[in-house]
Amino acid sequence: MTALKLVPHLVAFFGMATVALRGATRRGMLAGAALAGFLGGAGLAATLTGSVPGEFTYSLLRALLALPFLLLCAVSFAALYLSVGGKLPLARLERVAGWPLTRTLGLLVASAGAGAVAGTRLGGALPLWGWGALAAAAACLALAALLLESRLPATLTTSRAGFIALTVALLLFSASWSTRLDLFAPLTMKVMKFTHDFVHQFFESMLIPDHLFIHSYLWGYIGLLFGKEVGFWGGLVIWFTPVVMVLLAIRLERLPSVGHLRQGAQRRRMLAEAIRARRLRLVLPGIAVLLLAYAVYRSLYPSVEYWDPKPVPVTANAGGEIFLPRKGEIDLMDGKLHKFLYQQGGKTARFFVLLAPSGKLTVDLDACAICKPDGYGQAEGTVLCYYCKTLIPLETVGKPGGCNPVPVEFTEKDDGIHLNGVTLINTWSGTVQSTTRTMEKGK
Amino acid sequence: MLIRILKNSFLKRPKPVLLVLLSITMGAAVATAFLGIAGEVSHKMALELRSYGANILLEPTALEGGGFLREDDLPKIKTVFWKYNITGFTPYLFGVADLNAAGRRERSVVTGTWFSKELQVPGEESTEQGIKGMAPWWDLKGRWPEAADEAILGAALARRLKLDQGSEVAATVRGTVQRLKVCGVVTTGGFEEEQLFAPLVTVQQLLGQQGKVSRVLVSALTVPMDDFGRKDPSTMTKDEYEKWYCTAYVTSVAKNVEEVMSGSRAKPIWQIASAEGALLTKLNAVMLLLTLLALGASATAVSTSLMASMAERSPEIALMKAMGADRFQVSAIFLGEVLIISVVGGFVGYLIGNQLAALISHTVFNSSIASPLWLIPMAIGSAFLVACAGSIAPLRRALLIEPVRVLKG
Amino acid sequence: MSQTTIKTSGLTRSYGDICALKPIDLSVPEGEWLSVMGHSGSGKSTLMNLVGGLDRPSAGSLHVGGQDLSSLSEDGLARFRREYVGIIFQQHHLVPYLSALENVMLSQYFHSVPDEAEARHALERVGLGHRLQNRPGELSGGEQQRVCIARAIINSPKLLLGDEPTGNLDHKSTLMVMELLKELRAEERFTVVMVTHNEEVAAWGDRTIYLADGVLVREERTRP
Repeated sequence: MTALKLVPHLVAFFGMATVALRGATRRGMLAGAALAGFLGGAGLAATLTGSVPGEFTYSLLRALLALPFLLLCAVSFAALYLSVGGKLPLARLERVAGWPLTRTLGLLVASAGAGAVAGTRLGGALPLWGWGALAAAAACLALAALLLESRLPATLTTSRAGFIALTVALLLFSASWSTRLDLFAPLTMKVMKFTHDFVHQFFESMLIPDHLFIHSYLWGYIGLLFGKEVGFWGGLVIWFTPVVMVLLAIRLERLPSVGHLRQGAQRRRMLAEAIRARRLRLVLPGIAVLLLAYAVYRSLYPSVEYWDPKPVPVTANAGGEIFLPRKGEIDLMDGKLHKFLYQQGGKTARFFVLLAPSGKLTVDLDACAICKPDGYGQAEGTVLCYYCKTLIPLETVGKPGGCNPVPVEFTEKDDGIHLNGVTLINTWSGTVQSTTRTMEKGK
Repeated sequence: MLIRILKNSFLKRPKPVLLVLLSITMGAAVATAFLGIAGEVSHKMALELRSYGANILLEPTALEGGGFLREDDLPKIKTVFWKYNITGFTPYLFGVADLNAAGRRERSVVTGTWFSKELQVPGEESTEQGIKGMAPWWDLKGRWPEAADEAILGAALARRLKLDQGSEVAATVRGTVQRLKVCGVVTTGGFEEEQLFAPLVTVQQLLGQQGKVSRVLVSALTVPMDDFGRKDPSTMTKDEYEKWYCTAYVTSVAKNVEEVMSGSRAKPIWQIASAEGALLTKLNAVMLLLTLLALGASATAVSTSLMASMAERSPEIALMKAMGADRFQVSAIFLGEVLIISVVGGFVGYLIGNQLAALISHTVFNSSIASPLWLIPMAIGSAFLVACAGSIAPLRRALLIEPVRVLKG
Repeated sequence: MSQTTIKTSGLTRSYGDICALKPIDLSVPEGEWLSVMGHSGSGKSTLMNLVGGLDRPSAGSLHVGGQDLSSLSEDGLARFRREYVGIIFQQHHLVPYLSALENVMLSQYFHSVPDEAEARHALERVGLGHRLQNRPGELSGGEQQRVCIARAIINSPKLLLGDEPTGNLDHKSTLMVMELLKELRAEERFTVVMVTHNEEVAAWGDRTIYLADGVLVREERTRP
């Protein structure tokens, strides 16, 4: 299962290595750098997720992933500007970019990114053999990249901006497989918030004094800026602009001058070859466009991964009462499912706390009255019984019956939730016993 | 240059191009129309079938002994495991009474039932249950009874008694007389037209069967029966039983309801229950098959007309080859042509198909539908697919043309 | 004239049981104008098709411009045709729905990229500067043949093949076409192989070979 999850990230790593090897000289060093980057990134990210709880690792990684995208924006802008005949004082930068070491470092960083994305998905505790298998797989892929690259026709190449675009696209593609590292969704949110704030402030400061002059239909158009679509379309524009600029830059590259050739046929053949080569240089950035489009698709329709936190062990006080603070280490009010584990006298009860859409907290067993106690996961607007795959609307969580989770009695106070440990254990035992009996009866 | 070639080729030979365009357009139109109404049809059919009423019948276990169900158990139906799938239920109590109205006498079945009763179940939102919701096809002249002494008459019975809404009728059972105001006459097309319907409480009093019900009809949303659903629950393993219980088969819902109604036996009304599921799957399969057939037919038509135009153009192709065009260049010209035709054909096909779908929907279901926008790329895609499939054979033939033979002489 | 453009040895072509070309040994030096004469069915067209890469030999070796034609693939032959050979047909074979200019550009397109100015110039050179936009149906036989010549030379071929280029033309047009070919050859220095059954036309060449029933029967040098 974990191995399957890693496939897209390994694919991204493989793609990066292949891309970086195109036309490179020190191939062994490059492949080594890719491998080291990938494993290093994976290790670092896995350790970080394991040791620092919460969202920290993810927000850090998201910020780090946004950097290459910004770099791509700058590079694509410069490339387009240069190809339409602009002049930029970039001679020194060009020289530095031409060094083999720069390419190696770039690949190292990029594959470290891919590795880090993979690392977050490994979960905290991967046994040593797991790391071994991962390293072996990555090494095999690095070798395969070496092999594949040498088989590809030499004409399949692209501009430097094109290489960067493809690498960044691979990185973003890799990140899009994890809903928590996906960059497109935050981008749309940012765009939406920006438009919202901007429009708000602008109209507040500029137009309110004499807004009578604004016809009502105009307000209709202004209202469009507050819609959800603004974020999506704006995000889409920002998402694809750099790659499209890279493509345009290649498309607008000057063809070689053929004035010195006297024979028309020769002139035309040379032009045709140049055009063909230029078209081939569009292929790799074209793949980048596809990858980015797929990343958007994944962001919009993530493969359903249920929110299913690990149960947190809780203990009761001397009076047998379990207390869960409203806003402690775990924020009960964030609308997500929070699972807890309570042990008493050799018996274990699993339960969860969830803020229902009605604004009331509910406490329920992580089991229903019918099915095997496989527990629940949370998806958009519903929780799902893992056993019978029934989707239960969040509105009805907390009500007994059907495949709904069995509610537990509790008292809600200002500071948090209080519930009786003995009642909890008894409800759990009763429920699990009865579901076992149902199963026996059916036999 | 390619564009120039294609443009001239289209302008100078409109007939074969139009022929291909026509076949592609037809294919795309039929595909759009079928796919457009397929979803709609399933939905409409489900509603139509639903309107045929209940699919589970609850009866007392001891029928011969004049057994009864208890009215008090009724609210429990809304508390069972599948309560969210049960869209409605109606209790019935039957008895025979002498009806007396303005000098005419008739012996007839008197049915006590709920028309539109607000049902309060602790812990649940209150719902309305009764015939009004369960039998929407009943054509009622007048209004539903509201007070305890109001009733509605079946149309046939009303004709015999020469009664209409607003008149009164007296029902007598073993000396007990109940005067009822007729507030509506109902046409159902079934045996109900021979009956008198009165509120359940009234009929219970009349018959002296307080708190009793003879049968309950339950309407539930169920999943189509499959092989697993038909298995006998008593032979299942415990995992299977659990899965069966957890799936909304009509049998498992029936069993579920049976458990809460003491002394009852639940029978799925098979005709409707299985028809609903099976019919819908079959309908969708037929739609899909028809679409594929239409697409296949139009691909054949495309292939034939392209073949004909290819024969006509073989000198041209031979010439291109003699001039040094390779297979890729020859294919590019023909596939380019096909691509343009199929995009145009797909779009036009979508427009036509849309109208066609609206027309079909209007004549068959008497309702309008709006084709979803995703059908545009669908239509163009299927047109392109058809065009490609249709041009494989002609293209192969074009690539096999030998310039020497064609250009001879 | 040191290089050889065409070199065949034991070149044979048979269609089923019919042997259209008996083993033939031929060598054409670069820049030569070779006329091929013979009655219909003598194998002269077959020879021209083989040399032009339109057909494959049944046996024997065939080298044109240093390339072994029998070893080339289908697309390799197409490439050879578009880069090395220009062909003039008796029946002109112009694309009916394209204008004169576009017919010439079509040849450029298959070769590399179309260049309208160059195509126009080529048509002006064959004296058709005023009929660029006319379609083949609107041109006379002589004019069509001149479009055909412009199309054949547009890609600067090393080898120009003529399959009875004047067969459908009256005497005046024939003279005009031949004169034009001579002029162009003086400028472009291509090798010419021209199939004809007209002695007068054949006399324009440097050398004439006579074929009968697929056999080379006679060879005659018309010019030193």
